[in-house]
Amino acid sequence: MTLFTYVPSTSLAHGLDVRCKLCCLSLMSIATLQGGPVPLSLITAMVAGLLIATAIRPLTLFRELKLFFLLVAMVFISRSVTTGGEPIINLWGISATKQGIVAGALLSWKFVLVMLMGIVFTKTTKPSHVKGAVQWFLRPIPFVPETRVAVMISLFLRFMPLILTQASEVSQAQQARCFHLEKNPVKRLLRPTVPLLKKTFQSADQLALAMEARSYSDKRTDPVFIRSGQEPLILALCFLVLGLSFIV
Amino acid sequence: MNQGYQLKETVYSALFAALIAAGAFIAIPIGPVPIVLQNLFVLLAGLVLGPRWGLASVGLYLLMGALGFPVFAGGTGGLGRLFGPTGGYLLGYLPAVFVTGLISDRLGKTRVVDTGAMVAGSLIVYGAGVPWLKFATNMAWNKAVFAGMVPFIPGDLLKIAAGVFAAEIIRKVMK
Repeated sequence: MTLFTYVPSTSLAHGLDVRCKLCCLSLMSIATLQGGPVPLSLITAMVAGLLIATAIRPLTLFRELKLFFLLVAMVFISRSVTTGGEPIINLWGISATKQGIVAGALLSWKFVLVMLMGIVFTKTTKPSHVKGAVQWFLRPIPFVPETRVAVMISLFLRFMPLILTQASEVSQAQQARCFHLEKNPVKRLLRPTVPLLKKTFQSADQLALAMEARSYSDKRTDPVFIRSGQEPLILALCFLVLGLSFIV
Repeated sequence: MNQGYQLKETVYSALFAALIAAGAFIAIPIGPVPIVLQNLFVLLAGLVLGPRWGLASVGLYLLMGALGFPVFAGGTGGLGRLFGPTGGYLLGYLPAVFVTGLISDRLGKTRVVDTGAMVAGSLIVYGAGVPWLKFATNMAWNKAVFAGMVPFIPGDLLKIAAGVFAAEIIRKVMK
């Protein structure tokens, strides 16, 4: 999970207004899903440039994404086997077709790109800024209480690591009590789940009480956004790539 | 509804969204395939929080995923994943949690009703996920059912059995 934590720096992507970054991220995901090889290469060059600027080591990246690459490989294989066309490789009666391999490679490329864009975004953006930006975007939408959603987002980001720590605590405590020898599958499922739920609910209860005690309400000071001045240029570039992905 | 009550519900549904997200990472080894707790937590959100707040917590979870946080199974996130081949299961969580919550709200909180509500919820998840998988990958129907449903049924039955007890315990803790 270290891959998705914020790392402070002064790179181009760090300086951009969060709202602009969120816009670019969604525009680029649409372009990636929509586009052919030409826009894909363009996006790849942009993402690679940003990745180099944020100084992530390629080896670390690969190690952390091992499972993800396995998934991509499975997508590639299933695509190349199930798509009809002229067969190239024949192995144990299963044949991979030329069309299938091309389609599979394109799809895997798109998957990897979307993943890398997410990494660049989370590496360069503070969670509290994401919360602020979401609140700003939800404001014009009727019937959505934007401050409440923003509060829930920050609570979510606080609970995530707490739950993972408590889950590993519970599982270690139970291993120490020979839980792994238990045969009944329902019990195997319940024994770690119930204490975990109890623990997390107790901490949520305490948190709610603490918030109530401090007279918490939806009326809060709005987040402040800082612009670096390069937003129009970057947004224009993103729109250009998006347009290109529909034409080429 | 007074302010305090709403605040508690807000915190609880954020907690459930985080549990659903964490459930993708917590695997319990049973038999050959480890069981992932994610959809157990989705169904529990419906049972414990009711339809409205259950929907809020699943919506929050999907929103976090759509924003690019790595909360989907296997540690991925992003809009691409939400609309990718397995996106149907994720979007299917929304009607599933609503129906599960609605059934348990309307028919009372007994073990039999809880079981029925969770079965209905699971069926909705597959009802959304399997056709989506079929059309996204151009698989044949029988292949899609075998790849996207059959291997998970034994695990789901176990989760429903465990969920009935877990729901009872959480409701006691929440009071």
